[in-house]
Amino acid sequence: MLEVVKPGLETSIQDYPGRIGHWAQGFPPSGPMDAWSFRLANLLVGNQPGAAGLECQFVGPSLKFQRDTVIAVSGADMKPTLDGQAIPIWESVAVKRGQTLALSFATVGARAYIAVAGGIDTEPSLGSRSTFHKAGVGGMDGHALKPGQVVPVGNGSGKAGRRVKPDVRPPIPTDKRWTVEVVAGPNDDWVDEAGRQRFLSTDWKLSSKSDRTGFRLEGPQWTFTGKAYNKAPEHGSEPSNIIDQGYPVGAINLAGQTPIILVNDGPSMGGFINPYTVPSAAFWKLGQSKPAELLRFKIVTVEEAQDLRRSIDELCSERSIV
Amino acid sequence: MTEEVLTQVPGNVWKVLVKPGDKVKPDDVLFILEVMKTEVPHVATQAGTVAAVHIGEGQEGVDAGTVAVTIGDHSP
Amino acid sequence: MIYPEPRFLPAGDRFVLIEFGNEMNLELNFMAQGLATEIAEQRTNGVIETAPCFASLLVHYDPDQISFRDLGKEMKALIRSLGPSDELVLDSRLFYLPTMYRDPWTRACVEDYCNKIVKKEIDPDFVARINGLADAEQLVRVHSGTEYWVASLGFWPGLPFMMALDPRCVITAPKYNPPRTWTPQGTVGMGGASTAIYPVATPGGYQIFARTPVPIWDTEKRFPVFHDSVVLFRAGDRVKFVPIGKEEFEFIEAKVKERTYIYNVVEYQKFSVRNYKAWVKVLETAKRF
Repeated sequence: MLEVVKPGLETSIQDYPGRIGHWAQGFPPSGPMDAWSFRLANLLVGNQPGAAGLECQFVGPSLKFQRDTVIAVSGADMKPTLDGQAIPIWESVAVKRGQTLALSFATVGARAYIAVAGGIDTEPSLGSRSTFHKAGVGGMDGHALKPGQVVPVGNGSGKAGRRVKPDVRPPIPTDKRWTVEVVAGPNDDWVDEAGRQRFLSTDWKLSSKSDRTGFRLEGPQWTFTGKAYNKAPEHGSEPSNIIDQGYPVGAINLAGQTPIILVNDGPSMGGFINPYTVPSAAFWKLGQSKPAELLRFKIVTVEEAQDLRRSIDELCSERSIV
Repeated sequence: MTEEVLTQVPGNVWKVLVKPGDKVKPDDVLFILEVMKTEVPHVATQAGTVAAVHIGEGQEGVDAGTVAVTIGDHSP
Repeated sequence: MIYPEPRFLPAGDRFVLIEFGNEMNLELNFMAQGLATEIAEQRTNGVIETAPCFASLLVHYDPDQISFRDLGKEMKALIRSLGPSDELVLDSRLFYLPTMYRDPWTRACVEDYCNKIVKKEIDPDFVARINGLADAEQLVRVHSGTEYWVASLGFWPGLPFMMALDPRCVITAPKYNPPRTWTPQGTVGMGGASTAIYPVATPGGYQIFARTPVPIWDTEKRFPVFHDSVVLFRAGDRVKFVPIGKEEFEFIEAKVKERTYIYNVVEYQKFSVRNYKAWVKVLETAKRF
């Protein structure tokens, strides 16, 4: 139904909550990085919030429609046009057969989402249509979109002119600075007091060597407690080495001295410590941050993180739509 | 007519392949940015002479939408 | 050490890491897998999935079904009801995996690393030497002489991390520093006390010295063994590497290509921790093959 005229930088099919239940075999959840914007786009076109849609990263695709439908674009503004005419984001729009939707590049935020009435209808892989591009799982033949492909879409009817209220859209900052919530643990007791203070008072720079497998941060050195040094040799030779352990999604993984936030396509286990973990409620921030932007971390409790996620879930509902 | 070639992505400048005075034609690669561990080549869309280069190899954290290269036309 | 009480560590808003100890010890993995099996059987409310690792178990839960605090209580109660790991009897499939040791492909990969990154002693010789073995030939006898216990899967989909069951075959190997940028698909290697098989050609840091022509993951489900799963292994499986030569390797590779290769899996056995420990007690662990 959707002809891929231009693929964009890396545009992929994702659904929410993603590929769940296979962590023990090393399959990451994948799914949209900004699930807040993603779910609202689906609701605009009358889909279930978790229906499969497209995640666009930095530069969006050009798609030609083979039938009439209703679409919505949300997240970062990639200045979408329909046959060259600008269309609004955060609003459902009628599309006629033969029209071409074109997304450009984002200047505020990094990821945009395209929902189509009926939802994308590829064959699920391990229970999900989400794409793990690097490993060839899900998506279109295992990967992100390629020119010439035709993306299948299910049957569904949407209504044009539905809009997400401005005050319930994720507030993407324009000053290149983010405050990102973190929960201490599991391995925060490996970092000494000075190291913990340093982590929380630094503006960490997001490296451009960041992608859906991991967000690399640039900043000061970490310093450690005795745990990092007084350990059996099989842990490994670096202070941040630990006997291989399961990684939670969102772990701030300390590979040597380089913190890497493990995001949607990240590894499920490994031999480095995770002193802090970014909770699900803050993932949209990671999804919208751009290279060279600054991240400052703020400690929240497990319960506070869970409440934050619930409040975002509540916003991803019909009451946010006019 | 001058052409302003904008960066299409945010990221680091991996390679700059032209300097002022170079003659370019459509689809010549002018510079390559790096984002998401991916190289993103940027090409000229018109023929012309490179008038100015506003970015440098190794430059980090360039925004998308930045004027990177200015190309003047061939007319004297 | 094996902790007298497991530690429950918060890991964000949806995960808990349960640490049983802090050493490479099969006992700790038996505890992790025992708890994982029990949680699955009990269908503990609110637990979405678990992922065992060497000495720990990661639990993924739904905070709308169970709170972090209550989950901790549930886990403690389950651990108490399980009793000592000696009681554990787990279903355990055994895979015979044809493997060429000291193969040309891992050798070429190591030589490439020496040319491009940093010079090092060729891996089979290096691992033999640092473990006090006579030569790389003895490394082959010792490494292939034991069944390996699949302690965990992950880092990359389908990648198994295994521990030698026969203490006479335990060897260790430091990781590459810096790591390699590539590894041939099907490579068998070691890092620390763990043996892994690379399902695809990823970067890596293990010492590498063997290669199997048999796929360990298959999104196309070309073989019956992948009927229920894209990934060959599960935690609790055992693997026996069967040394083969280059001709046999190429013969099997051709059969894999034709989709006629038949996996050698033994699927009726159970692994008894008590029986295993009793067997280990009678071994002369100072002697090597």
